[in-house]
Amino acid sequence: MVHVLGVALPDLQLARLALTNFYGIGHKTAQRLCARLQIHDRCKIRDLTAQQITELASFLASPSTVSPLRRMPLASPTFQPPPASTPIEMLRKRVAELSKPTGAEPLRNLKIEAEGRRVVRENIAHQRMIGSYVGKRHAMGLPVRGQNTQSNAKTAKKLNRVNRFG
Amino acid sequence: MLPLSSCCRHATRSLLAISDSNAICTGLPALRTQVRNYAKARPGVAKPSSHGFSKVQKKGKGGELEGTDQVAATKRKRYTAFLPMPVAQLTHPLFETDQRNGQLQLQNFHPEILTDAVTSQALAFPQNDKDPFRIFGLPRNLLVEYRILSKPCSVIRDVTIDVINKLDAASLEGSANHRLVVAGSPGCGKSVLLLQALQYSYMRDWIVLYFPRAINLVNSTTSYTYDPRTLTYTQPVFAYQTLERLLTVNGPRLEHLRTQASVEVERRGTVPAGTTLVDLVKVGTKEQALAPTVLAAVLSELGEQTTFPVLLAIDDFQAIYCKTKYRDPHYSRIQPYHLSMPRLLLEYASGLRRFARGAVVGALSSTDTTFKLPLELAEALGLPPTSSGPYAKRVPELQDYAKGLSRVSVPDALTVSEATELFDVWARDRAIPAVPNDELFLAKYSESGGNARDFIWKGLLSTLTL
Repeated sequence: MVHVLGVALPDLQLARLALTNFYGIGHKTAQRLCARLQIHDRCKIRDLTAQQITELASFLASPSTVSPLRRMPLASPTFQPPPASTPIEMLRKRVAELSKPTGAEPLRNLKIEAEGRRVVRENIAHQRMIGSYVGKRHAMGLPVRGQNTQSNAKTAKKLNRVNRFG
Repeated sequence: MLPLSSCCRHATRSLLAISDSNAICTGLPALRTQVRNYAKARPGVAKPSSHGFSKVQKKGKGGELEGTDQVAATKRKRYTAFLPMPVAQLTHPLFETDQRNGQLQLQNFHPEILTDAVTSQALAFPQNDKDPFRIFGLPRNLLVEYRILSKPCSVIRDVTIDVINKLDAASLEGSANHRLVVAGSPGCGKSVLLLQALQYSYMRDWIVLYFPRAINLVNSTTSYTYDPRTLTYTQPVFAYQTLERLLTVNGPRLEHLRTQASVEVERRGTVPAGTTLVDLVKVGTKEQALAPTVLAAVLSELGEQTTFPVLLAIDDFQAIYCKTKYRDPHYSRIQPYHLSMPRLLLEYASGLRRFARGAVVGALSSTDTTFKLPLELAEALGLPPTSSGPYAKRVPELQDYAKGLSRVSVPDALTVSEATELFDVWARDRAIPAVPNDELFLAKYSESGGNARDFIWKGLLSTLTL
């Protein structure tokens, strides 16, 4: 059982499914995260190395401040690799020179856990502040999106409020 | 004596684990470990099986037997709940699963006897500790089939003799001109042909490297990391497993070979020229991160030596020409030539790298629909493409990798003599639920149109006739 940012990830679960245990990460975001961290589809949490877990934790702690992703150079069919004794710094420098910058990254705007809940809370507070219909319905604890209230408004009556998520 | 249910549980577990176990098995297939005690057939009681009316009459003591029959009938009527018969009472030969091996007497597969005279005969594959099938694994459907049969065997066909002649020619020349791809309709016997070629070369003192499920290289089931030196995504765990299996199967032959040049390895300095290939392989098996470099080095050394021919056999050959399921950090799918293991196989398949003596043989497979025959490979082999049209894109790199492949076509239908032999094997193994007669054979042969897989699985094993 690995704990990342306060969320327990079960050892026997596939990594790309375990990441959905975070608030704000669904299946698509989880797959993108796994691709970003080079975690294959059938990797379980117990198969992750310590380095991968550290990378995951540091990425999720603040996705917006991570250094921008660059498109790494890939070998053409006739490429001959340099000998294995080449120092790693030289190789990394060469790769950095050959790499190209990328445009928008969907994971940069990722907001999970507390930040994600705050976004929802702020949106509802904004609606209330401007005095909109949506804000009023949240305040009354009734359905917001035009559902029936004559019957079946149980979830809205239970959960809708201005100060949602405490 | 183990109860029957736990025997079945152990059997299914070994069914799934055989291709993944690196440890050398005890030499006995799992199903042989049952030892059962059978009850003796009790005299004077008419058995519920097909002894029939006549035997009851033969007893002669009509009154007594009728009496016992009546008593038995009344006894049966008194039971309110079903009580299963104890296992030891199952005296019918159908239940004697530990004595099946005596039934199927087949000649052993041996390269010396493989001539035209042996076509349409079934030969049993040998089973020993370091058998290529046991160590490298088998395609999934063949694994299940060989578990059901008491001995793994196959029927020798004309196309087998063709391929064997080609392998004999390849043992003298290089793999540059001997890159074969086995193609044919689904279920016609491509994987089995590849197994026959593999077994033949192994017995002829070749060094063999077999990938039974090449789809596992490209379906995102093994770890991958970007390597700044080779500018590809390496697959260290798969490379490590390949090295282990290569060493287990070909150990004695690799002992005779020595490296011609020094081999540089990351962070571990240089392996000097003149080390045995076994020691070189062990450098890769000690540390997984070094396995891809060591595997490439071992294969290039094997390519230069001329003592032993080398066979590279790949099932699911089309999978290494399809876009992989791996994703790069930008979430786009990685091409197969940007992953270390498929790239290595593509280089040998295209002739960019070659064996001085040996061949590359691949078998197409249509089982997995997520990795279908790609357009570039279909055009190179002269097969009808699955997707075509004026706007269909072709990847130029894959077209280059597919140049020069020669096709070996497996006939769609078994000949009657081959089908007869196959029928005989399954009948002698008591696997057919119906009575194995000519009528059943001809019916199933016609229904399946001679297709081997349909003949066995949809015909003989699924028949409801009695």
